[in-house]
Amino acid sequence: MNRIGTLAAAFVVTLATITGGAALTGYVTADGAAPAPEIQNDHYLDDDLVANATPGQATVEMESTARSQTVLVDPGVEPSGGAPTGLLGLLGFGGPDVADRDVRPLANALIENGHDVDVYVPDPEQQRRAAGPGGEQGPTQLGERLAEADAFVTFRTDYDATELGEIESFVESGGHVIVATEPDAAFDEPGAAALDATLGVTTESGYVYNMAENDLNYQRVYAEPAADSGSALTEGVDRAVLPSATPVGTTLAGSDVLAPIEGSELSTTRAPTEAPLLVRTDGVVMVGDSDFLSPENAQRADNDALIGNLADFLVSNDRTPPGPGGQQAPSGPTAPGGPTAPGGPTGPQPPAGNESAENATSG
Amino acid sequence: MSTKKPSTALTSRQQLAAVVLAAAVVGAVLAPSVYAATNDPDDTVAVVEIEGPVNTALADDVESELADVRANDSVGAVVLKMDTPGGAPVASERMYKAVQRTSEQMTVIASVQSISASGGYYAMAPADEIYVLPTSTVGSIGLNAPAPRSSAPTQGPSGPDKRGGNEIQTWAQQQTLADTFVSAMMAERGEEFQMPREEVAKADVYLGTEAVKNGFADEIGSLNEAVHAAATAENLGEYRVDTRETGPDTGFPFLLRTDAQVVAIHANDPGYGDVKPMGLSYVHAPAVPHVDAVERFSESDLAVDRGGAAAGSGATGNESARLAGGVDA
Repeated sequence: MNRIGTLAAAFVVTLATITGGAALTGYVTADGAAPAPEIQNDHYLDDDLVANATPGQATVEMESTARSQTVLVDPGVEPSGGAPTGLLGLLGFGGPDVADRDVRPLANALIENGHDVDVYVPDPEQQRRAAGPGGEQGPTQLGERLAEADAFVTFRTDYDATELGEIESFVESGGHVIVATEPDAAFDEPGAAALDATLGVTTESGYVYNMAENDLNYQRVYAEPAADSGSALTEGVDRAVLPSATPVGTTLAGSDVLAPIEGSELSTTRAPTEAPLLVRTDGVVMVGDSDFLSPENAQRADNDALIGNLADFLVSNDRTPPGPGGQQAPSGPTAPGGPTAPGGPTGPQPPAGNESAENATSG
Repeated sequence: MSTKKPSTALTSRQQLAAVVLAAAVVGAVLAPSVYAATNDPDDTVAVVEIEGPVNTALADDVESELADVRANDSVGAVVLKMDTPGGAPVASERMYKAVQRTSEQMTVIASVQSISASGGYYAMAPADEIYVLPTSTVGSIGLNAPAPRSSAPTQGPSGPDKRGGNEIQTWAQQQTLADTFVSAMMAERGEEFQMPREEVAKADVYLGTEAVKNGFADEIGSLNEAVHAAATAENLGEYRVDTRETGPDTGFPFLLRTDAQVVAIHANDPGYGDVKPMGLSYVHAPAVPHVDAVERFSESDLAVDRGGAAAGSGATGNESARLAGGVDA
């Protein structure tokens, strides 16, 4: 018994010595994670770091008391392939171009002040018939619509020769035109130069950006009234936000209205630019951006005041439309009473043989 | 007295021989260990590889390796072997902080191989020095993101921002994300950059030869030279190099970009679970191939054989238009 006790004690003592030694060695030579050094990254705590996300408010108001005018909007819907039909097309315009909501602030201001807003959506059926052989050359679909309008707002640049002629005579007869373009409008399609030449305006390649002072993105540049503008278009406008804007220009007869703020540069040169972003002649306003009209952007800076001024410009024209029976629309039961129902209901018998109409699809 | 019968006891000479033999045997067994213990230097330069797209798996490994390095007394210096176009913002930040901690404790030198841009640059910025090869690419300090667009109203979600915020709110968030990156880089290397913050925020990339002049890098040198410089800085004398691989060893994910965004692909023949969109990323987009280009080369009959080369160029134009945030033509 005593012998067994001795053996057991020896076993326990030996085991305890070995495991205890191992534990002590492990503890002494422990190779675990050391306490991480304290690091204070003040740059993550900067009060100015978080951008102000308040969307803002817009109040678009018009000053003009002109009688009811008809403003035609061309959102740039292609006349072929997936063309929108009826009201549905009107609401969405059937494509990724300028949608109804994108021009709502401007359209609403016009409507609220008693003006008509008409939307040009080409009818592919009519387009095909118009392209038929023979017959005398008549107005295009656009020409027919312009004949009823006092002012014209377009987001498109690829008009064919006949349409350009119609736009030119529209301006000559006192109609006011706003062309809203984009930096990439001429990037991969032809046609913009012809419209520019017709209206006496120019656009440059590239976009304007400002790294130092901008509206939440370097491409969303601030524009301020040009030095010598003094134009009614800049009334109440200290600064406007133009997202993705391209420089525009005009002839000597025209004037610069909005120019990018100091520190702005041009993408193609990476050099400072003072080239204007919004110019006007007597009857034409050219703006190097179309996004500034959208509801979200109307709420930025003084865009609402600018949009109101542009609405005033549209309705302050000297034009008296000849109407559907006028010189440009010799025949056809064009529905005159439908400023909000273009496209489908507009069904004049088109004059056959409009060969150039086919070009409208190819730009 | 002396009985002359043969003795079984060893003579003293025999005893000596036995002891010498036993010592020789034990010595032979112990010699390799003793040799290793004396020949192998105590000091180690750990080379931690940061290669491929920056993602969670890579950040996990880099954090873990650097924590191990910090806890290991035998590691005297670290070299980061960089070869990445960037990737996920959070993974970039995690590596940035891990490198920052390590750099507090020992010399850390980044050695750029072909590229360390965007999120990759973020990760290595706290290093004491950045080594580049003459044609390495560094920079691209900024956010890659699509233009926020308003979406049609939907019914059902519990709040107006549940399906994505207002357009302006998204712009603000993206700008904050970009500014966070730029601010961190200005804090780390603002004194080295030979340009103002606005110029840094343009997110340009620079070749090594230019980077050592404008402060985006410090020295022209290879990985070996970076290792030697790290060891010299810590007075290691003799040292060994311990290379630590990181990230998944399957070669995935790889990055592709579509017209709108960058996606991470986690399988060669990807299913739904293998494609992870990266809406907002710290990635140098030109270093990421467009999905159209990859698809063209993976087709059994190449597009050029069918006269379909136009498909690719069309996609490029489209992309430019969308990236510009403008109206699609």
